[in-house]
Amino acid sequence: MGYTITEKILARAAGLPAVRAGQDIKAKPDFVLAYDFPGYTDVYFKTMKEDFGIERVAEPERFGIFIDHMVPTATAKEEELHINTRNWCAENDVPLFERHGIGHQVAAEVGYATPGAFVVHFDGHVSQLGTFGTLAIGLRRNVMEAFVSDTVSIRVPDTVRVNLRGSLRPGVMARDVFHHLVRRLGPSSCRFQVLELGGPSVAAMSTEGLQTITGLAMFTGALTAIVNPDPVRLDYALPRARKKLEPVSSDPDAQYSAVHDIDLSDLEPIVVVPPTPADTRDLTEFLGLEINAGYLGSCASGRLEDLRAAAKVLEGRRVKTGVSLHIVPTSQELMAAAAREGLVSTLVEAGAFVSSPSCDYCFGRIATMTAGQRAVSTGTLNVRGRMGSPDSEIYLCNAAVVAASAIEGRIADPRPYL
Amino acid sequence: MTEPTLNMPPMKGRVAFIFDEVNFDVDQIVGVKNIKITDVAELAQVAMQAYDPDFAKSVRPGDLLVGADNFGYGHPHYPPMKAMRHLGVTGVIAESFSPGYWRGEVSMGFPQVSCPGILGFVQRWDEIEVDWAAGVVRNHTQGTEIPFEPLPQADAEMIEAGGLVPFLKRQAAQQREQKDHAHVPGI
Repeated sequence: MGYTITEKILARAAGLPAVRAGQDIKAKPDFVLAYDFPGYTDVYFKTMKEDFGIERVAEPERFGIFIDHMVPTATAKEEELHINTRNWCAENDVPLFERHGIGHQVAAEVGYATPGAFVVHFDGHVSQLGTFGTLAIGLRRNVMEAFVSDTVSIRVPDTVRVNLRGSLRPGVMARDVFHHLVRRLGPSSCRFQVLELGGPSVAAMSTEGLQTITGLAMFTGALTAIVNPDPVRLDYALPRARKKLEPVSSDPDAQYSAVHDIDLSDLEPIVVVPPTPADTRDLTEFLGLEINAGYLGSCASGRLEDLRAAAKVLEGRRVKTGVSLHIVPTSQELMAAAAREGLVSTLVEAGAFVSSPSCDYCFGRIATMTAGQRAVSTGTLNVRGRMGSPDSEIYLCNAAVVAASAIEGRIADPRPYL
Repeated sequence: MTEPTLNMPPMKGRVAFIFDEVNFDVDQIVGVKNIKITDVAELAQVAMQAYDPDFAKSVRPGDLLVGADNFGYGHPHYPPMKAMRHLGVTGVIAESFSPGYWRGEVSMGFPQVSCPGILGFVQRWDEIEVDWAAGVVRNHTQGTEIPFEPLPQADAEMIEAGGLVPFLKRQAAQQREQKDHAHVPGI
């Protein structure tokens, strides 16, 4: 019986000839990633020194730190956190990526998404490195183990395989594919398992779309998501890779706990209704619902295909007076590319507020909503209080829906604008 | 598959509350508007207001919480269970857990027990017991017992050690010991 890509990656990381789902192992991550955030990195840095006597990390090239939250800072205390992070990285010779964009996207751009690598972070959205055949798991506080020892203690997860076939219709995007997965499979369908995407349509899907889908995997209960790397993904990832590793793929006779087939040509735009990522509904049920704000950005969405979709809808039109539309490209690299394509001017001329990359819009640190307000958003999450007041509401949807809704001031179908 | 046994005394207490909502977002225990409160006594005061305003008065040290499927789904924060521990709650037994929540609370050394069937097995205020060694939950009020799912090795060790940092210290000490032994000449 064959092995899944996850079993193969973890076997190598554990220094074992083979591992199977269900086995408890200690695996050495190829890369340990984190963004600075109070209660996380500051605690790891302090604990390493004070509780474990570690003055410097042994292999700095295995680490990567991002400053993407609290960018730009609004208080002196936030700046002090960043100073602490900069100092730690300098003292440890650890690569620091400040203001390059949202870390999970930047991680791919700068080569941590090495095909075949095992990566850990505290934040689960790092799962999007799975697009490139990288096994990237968010461990929450437990990532501290990777800061104070070489290995992390984990149980090899089972895998749920999802085969995609067919192609998306206009106005339907990768966001809708993911939210449809939650609807079809259920919000706990992949609990403690890996969501592996495959099937005839994966090769034709954009890398950006796969980053969107894999980056949201946690809302199916999955520990992470992964794609067997194909030539398109390898062309992107191998020249940037930080480590020389042989890419691996699942064997044809690998064992899965479940296999699902999704026909992309059946899908319709979806809105995810507050206050839970589990409540996925057809867009058509909510057309006309008044909105105050729109947000296009985040580690899940905010890449070129999202910006292009929004620009197509907004070109020659205006955001409705009184609606605030924030558009935040996911990284500097993507923002520059969008500017070269003329997308930024189209969006700005339509009345969008286009900002440099930052995580801060997604969790309400800026563009904060007050009680009674409602947003359409491509952010990661729609729980109460995520973008401000606990009495404000977030409807998650694709980038084209955000743009169309900003024009009309109510939840709108983008297809007439395309 | 390894099935580690926790070297811990049984947890005995009453079922202080049953959260029967699937995909339960634990932030609701204190309410999102209170999630940034850092004072644990203050958190304990606001906890459960939406579910049972008398909760703080009726809960006793040792009591346990019971949850439904995918308990802890959403974007769980630590304050709700900090409040629960402050009120004396010693653990959570649920049909199943959302991984993010599970990892977070296990790293706090807070026992979490995955027990399919638990919702139909207990009623509020039943006297129950989690027997780690036997791998069962006993309902003393009803005179029944039900098995729970064995914990992954590292999770069992983390709960036993009392949380992430004590677990990591214990592991570091063990690794030093192994290294020292390996370096003793003649052995």
